Amino acid sequence: MAQRLVIPIGPQHPALKEPLGFRFRVEGERVLETHIRMGYVHRGIERALQERSYIQALYLVERVCGICSHIHTTAFCQGVEELLGLEIPPRALYIRTIVCELERIHSHLLWLGVIGRDAGFETLFMYTWRDRETVLDILEEISGNRINYAVNTFGGVRIDLTSAQIESIPKRLDYLEEQAHYYLKLVTTEATFVARTHGVGYLSREDGRAFCVVGPTIRASGVDRDVRRDDPYAAYEELPFQVVTATEGDALARTVVRVKEVIESVRMIRHALHNLPEGEVRVRVRRRIPPGEVISRVEAPRGELIYYIKSDGTERPARVKIRAPTLANMVAVPHMLKGAHIADIPIVVAAIDLCIACADR
Amino acid sequence: MPARTLLKKLKGVLGEHIGQAWVPRPHRAFFSVRRDELHDVVEALVNRFDIKHLSTITGVDTGEELELLYHFWDYDVCFTVKITLPREKPCIKTLTDIVPGALFYEREVHDLLGVEFEEHPDLSPLVLPDGWEEGHPLLKDWSPP
Repeated sequence: MAQRLVIPIGPQHPALKEPLGFRFRVEGERVLETHIRMGYVHRGIERALQERSYIQALYLVERVCGICSHIHTTAFCQGVEELLGLEIPPRALYIRTIVCELERIHSHLLWLGVIGRDAGFETLFMYTWRDRETVLDILEEISGNRINYAVNTFGGVRIDLTSAQIESIPKRLDYLEEQAHYYLKLVTTEATFVARTHGVGYLSREDGRAFCVVGPTIRASGVDRDVRRDDPYAAYEELPFQVVTATEGDALARTVVRVKEVIESVRMIRHALHNLPEGEVRVRVRRRIPPGEVISRVEAPRGELIYYIKSDGTERPARVKIRAPTLANMVAVPHMLKGAHIADIPIVVAAIDLCIACADR
Repeated sequence: MPARTLLKKLKGVLGEHIGQAWVPRPHRAFFSVRRDELHDVVEALVNRFDIKHLSTITGVDTGEELELLYHFWDYDVCFTVKITLPREKPCIKTLTDIVPGALFYEREVHDLLGVEFEEHPDLSPLVLPDGWEEGHPLLKDWSPP
């Protein structure tokens, strides 16, 4: 019988992009059990939010995550606006949505490069990160920043789109769509990539539901669930889009779902730019937020992001709870790794699109 | 289905288990249950209504007591089951036997508010450092060491 060992990986390890502690109990080449230790980038943000005014808190939630910063402020702003009972100008909702989708494209392309690299297909990493620059350029033109765009504010958005931008963005979207189609062909036909991801990290539909998994990870296991359609926010009710699903439940299916989502996002942005309503982009907001409690949900690139906000009528929130999608998906990782090859660990872990800073807060 | 319809459906089966209930807007519902009935109520949600998605557990220290809010997702409705616990030695039976997705959420509430989850398989620290003895940072009376 092969020898049983415990292999510790992390919190600092060349294979990890962010600090996370793993302990794998293995027998020969097979993983028997996985223990995950988080908290290495826990910054106490939920507590810190209680000690800040709402507007200061807005800038802090933007920094929960370096990749999907806009989705955090979207969730927070929506919650506060609901407490205020505010009506947001339609143009602002459209701009919010456009930035949300640009962010999704940038996040998915970033991830596609990471999974390519983990699968030993470094060229894919080079290609997707080059194309990701196109999205980052658009975001920089719109907001002035490549990341942490600070587009959202209570009552609307801080920036407006110029007619020159509205005209120039679709041309670059055409390029991204063309590239996404190319990647879709590539990841499903490239022998190396398919061999490394097909059947790897399998999660059945039932297990996915039991572990309360979210986002592209659960959609790749055949569960048709997306906050943008089920609980529409911003301008999503007015945009036509398909919720992408797959049934295979492996790392390859998760890749295909994400690439197809890029194509859907491109179409949504194009539609939103074409139908951008005229008018104001923000309304004035009172500093004091009326007492109450709200739940704000959005579909982050990695899945359902949920904010619970409680106000006691003062200038500071009484409680803000943030649950990032990675925390929801991480619970299923030990299950996906049961019986996996040691060599497949990086792919299984990367396939859920980890964002540790988000999960730790 | 609208939140009101869902709540009505749940009330039809769970009846007196559901305490105060309110629907602030079409996609949201809240109701409170007694803490010793939480496990049975969630078991019914999972087994009889096929509502399995627990989005997260929020712990709130109101100063007088601790509130735990269990947020569930059923198609287009996000509904919250609310229970209250005493601030002294808060303790509740784990849900991990019926909702495996609660594993990390309960550990986090244990870290930050000190709630004990009976029969939880592993309540080791999730976000706080090993050997942390400076209390539970989300309690109102906590101050940084």
